[in-house]
Amino acid sequence: MRFGRISKAVGVAAVAALALSACAGNTGTTPTSAAAGKQGGNATVVEVNAFSSFNQGSADGNSDINGNISYITRSGFYYVDDKLNIVHNDKFGKYEKVSDDPLTVKYTVNEGVKWSDGEAIDAGDLLLSWAANSGYYDDADADAKTGTTYFTTAADTSGLNLTEFPEIGDDGRSITLKYAKPFADWEIAFDMDMPAHVVAKKGGLADEKALIDLLKKTPRGDSKAPKVNAELKKVADFWNSGFDSKTLPSDPSLYLSSGPYIVKSIEQDASMTLVKNKDYTWGPEAHLDEITIRYIGSAPAAVQALKNGEADIIAPQPSADTLEQLKALESQGVTTESYGELAYDHLDLNFSGPFKDKKVREAFMKTVPRQDIVDKIVKKLDPNSKPLDSELFLPSQAKYADAVKNNGSANYASVDIAGAKELLAGATPEIKIMYNKDNPNRVDAFSLIRESAAKAGFKIVDGGLGASDWSGTLGDGSYDATIFGWINSGVGVSGVPQIFKSTGGSNFNGFKSAEADKLMDELIVTTDKGKQDELTAQIDKLIWDEAYGVPLFQTVGVAAISDRFTGVKSSPGQRGVWWNVWDWQVK
Amino acid sequence: MLTYIVRRLVTAALILLGASFLVYLLTAASGDPLAELRASNAPNREQLMEARSNLLDLDTPAPIRYFKWLAGASQCLIPFAGTCDLGRNTANQPITDALGHALIQTLTLVTAATVLAILVGITLGIITALRQYSTLDYGVTFMAFLFFSLPIFWVAVLLKEFGAIGFNNFLRNPEIPLPAAIGIGAVLGIVAAIVAGGEPKRRVLTGGIVFAVVTAVLIYFSVTLWFKTPGLGPVVIAIAGVGLAYAVTLLTAGLKNRKALQSALLAVGAGVVAYFAIQPLLNQATFLMIVLLAVATVLVGVAIGYFVGGYDRGQSMRAAGMTSFLVAFLILLDRFMQAWPTYFDNSRVRGRPIATIGATTPNIEGDFWVLSLDSFTHLILPTSALILISLAGYTRFTRASMLEIMNMDYIRTARAKGLSERTVVMRHAFRNALIPIATIVAFDIGALIGGAVITERVFSVRGMGFLFFDGIEHVDPNPVMGVFVCVAITAMAFNLIADLAYSALDPRVRVKA
Repeated sequence: MRFGRISKAVGVAAVAALALSACAGNTGTTPTSAAAGKQGGNATVVEVNAFSSFNQGSADGNSDINGNISYITRSGFYYVDDKLNIVHNDKFGKYEKVSDDPLTVKYTVNEGVKWSDGEAIDAGDLLLSWAANSGYYDDADADAKTGTTYFTTAADTSGLNLTEFPEIGDDGRSITLKYAKPFADWEIAFDMDMPAHVVAKKGGLADEKALIDLLKKTPRGDSKAPKVNAELKKVADFWNSGFDSKTLPSDPSLYLSSGPYIVKSIEQDASMTLVKNKDYTWGPEAHLDEITIRYIGSAPAAVQALKNGEADIIAPQPSADTLEQLKALESQGVTTESYGELAYDHLDLNFSGPFKDKKVREAFMKTVPRQDIVDKIVKKLDPNSKPLDSELFLPSQAKYADAVKNNGSANYASVDIAGAKELLAGATPEIKIMYNKDNPNRVDAFSLIRESAAKAGFKIVDGGLGASDWSGTLGDGSYDATIFGWINSGVGVSGVPQIFKSTGGSNFNGFKSAEADKLMDELIVTTDKGKQDELTAQIDKLIWDEAYGVPLFQTVGVAAISDRFTGVKSSPGQRGVWWNVWDWQVK
Repeated sequence: MLTYIVRRLVTAALILLGASFLVYLLTAASGDPLAELRASNAPNREQLMEARSNLLDLDTPAPIRYFKWLAGASQCLIPFAGTCDLGRNTANQPITDALGHALIQTLTLVTAATVLAILVGITLGIITALRQYSTLDYGVTFMAFLFFSLPIFWVAVLLKEFGAIGFNNFLRNPEIPLPAAIGIGAVLGIVAAIVAGGEPKRRVLTGGIVFAVVTAVLIYFSVTLWFKTPGLGPVVIAIAGVGLAYAVTLLTAGLKNRKALQSALLAVGAGVVAYFAIQPLLNQATFLMIVLLAVATVLVGVAIGYFVGGYDRGQSMRAAGMTSFLVAFLILLDRFMQAWPTYFDNSRVRGRPIATIGATTPNIEGDFWVLSLDSFTHLILPTSALILISLAGYTRFTRASMLEIMNMDYIRTARAKGLSERTVVMRHAFRNALIPIATIVAFDIGALIGGAVITERVFSVRGMGFLFFDGIEHVDPNPVMGVFVCVAITAMAFNLIADLAYSALDPRVRVKA
């Protein structure tokens, strides 16, 4: 090939480049970047769902992640610890029972407690919380489809609905709630909610004072004579949906904080970042400067993110595979905690059909291989798990051991085929068991029960239904026994009559005991914790005595924590690992 | 033609209406939106069920709810009115917002993968067709089918384990042990020998050279800890540029066209000079600047070709333009490598750059280069996974189409009249082989939006697939309908475009009006 002049020029250029590069080296100049982020003091936590609302108390916004964000950005009078005790936060304010008859509770916010925009937290905020969560103004009639539901709260309004319009304390920092009749769960019936001055302004009122006046002058809703209050409706509408946002609102008043952290940025459907609330002094002091939350739906992806250092704290949906993968990370310093959650699986027997006879129920309960079920289903997730022996207490509660000793569960601790046969006296009842056949745990439990019950002479019919169908048949009598899950409220006793009272909304098996009904009537008006435990234990015993069915096991939660942190501890309660966010520290 | 388009559009609208009605009813009937609450033992169970019913408007029968939805959706047809209402999801977010976000997420995820899969697939298809029944052909076919049949969630998990976690561990101390260097060199050498084709002697020689070069480079990388502070430098750019100049000229004009080769080489020279000139400018780079620079580069290349001229000016311009674009790409790559240490040491990245989830590192701060690197490190795994599994289709299709064309009479005629093999393949065969490919590409772009559901889940990207699943899970037709409308409209539009493009490309096909 003959190179022309131009090619030579290229050659010269190449040589020149060589020479120049000798000076420059091949690293080039180091480019300047913006200052790197803060060193240390931050954690990345994985949540399954994406954040969607700053008002977790509204029906739309009531999800785990929204609740967790609300928990760490909003202070209140109390929190629930990992032993399911109510811990009062006296630095925020105090609340106390002023009188027992009528039950009167006074809530006072301490001086200097304020929202992150500087506005003091006072009686107006408390009043709004009461208005939103009491259903006081609602005059809706669900059957007649008349009237208005103002605040669509996700909370149970039955407690606060018993109260009269609160009395505002002279200093403007306290309200006093007077209950028409004693309410057992008064201690957790009420807490701080949304900032009243923001709701007032955005709801079309002049200021917080106007909101207080509006609430004062509006009478209690009467479903017999419904009347729409347009002003209140506007305020309530804002409360219901005005705080819903998947991105960081341009108006900072929508995400005011009164807790240890405040939201700094949100990347829609991907992550959000919280930083320390500078003003916050009214509660346990937080250590980490910054918390980032990433949303990862699939458990294996979360585990790999932890392994790759993209996440520090994860609480994935537990499965044997997930746990195995997490165990493999122990060499990397990751701690894995398995713990019993509030939810538990149980077998219920209908008080009708073949189970009308108590002896048949007892016989069936004797055949249920509870230990086997635990061994096969939950042992691989939590080696310490045991069969649950109470329908009303959880092992993490102080009263559990005592209640279990006396409730008669010991009679069903192990499978007793001979005893069951004796009770059946040769009968071979046909039993249809309904369960969610799309849930592998329930399928396993069903198979084990079927196998064992057949030995005693029961003819078991598989009544398993698909994921979206099974719950619709609850209580319709199309089955004789059912395996499904319930969620213990952990704190409070309002949930007890819902399931076990003869008229309870979730009493699907027709359990009816006059004595238990009476005790529950007493329970929900008992305000003393010790006495509540006493009554609950008695009801628990009655449930076992009546051969209601058997609780099987607590579902297992798993949390895995990178070795960069100390102080992270999971709790069976609603808030999971978040409950002691202020104790999280970088090693 | 116009009548044809109008007729197609009218049919499309009718299909869309009918299908949307069906999809709405099917979604509404797909489950019980209150299922979860029915089994609840919350004391306020009734109240929660009431709220959920109100939210989803369950008191209205589904067919009537569809027409309510349609009334809102039809307002989307009024341009610029901003009255588009596709309803809200259960988190009370307008579907239009959710869709906008999800669409961007999905497009980010699949665009690069689709483009690369098309380019690589077509190239492999043509090469295998030209070397029918060679080792290379069998090898590529085997690999293509292997990847095609792998489930993506499994590929993704493996990629994360080795491509991200393993590679990040390696980066902590990027030393390549000698046996590994030799092993990698040997594997690549064998691949090169297979790809090279021709006489056994030539194959062995190519394989040997590649083995030696790769092993040497890897040892060099290991000794200098190149992976900590990667870079190309002007020398490598110049050498690679000259190589590229020859390759581009070979393909576009043939090496016999000396003017074209001169233009391409000149473009490389200009590129090397520009490398030094442009560094300060690149420090202030923005995305727009990069695009403008790319355009400018191509224009300069074309201008070089124009002035060098020759008997076929067009060929020179094409060769120089493409060469300068490729050299500019090398310069860009080098600049990214320069930014690598900064990115690597960023406190948010913590020395583990390749990510397994999401699209960005939360809260990362930095200049254009750091932020772009962040996107690359997040996209590299899902993109690789998607390319691997979608490669097979393009490869096989192109191969078949190319083989068919190569056996046509006019190819024989072209050869008989003495045209060079390059001209026969590039001018006569390749262009015609692309016609049927245009159809699949158009279809694939239509399917692109709804097509990466599992990939989205594994890599934790909340795009269209997530929106769809979320709707199904809550038995909420609104998000499902949003996704459906988007996917259906794109699919139908691209179907139409494919048909029109076909008739434009292939003179044998005529649209009958």
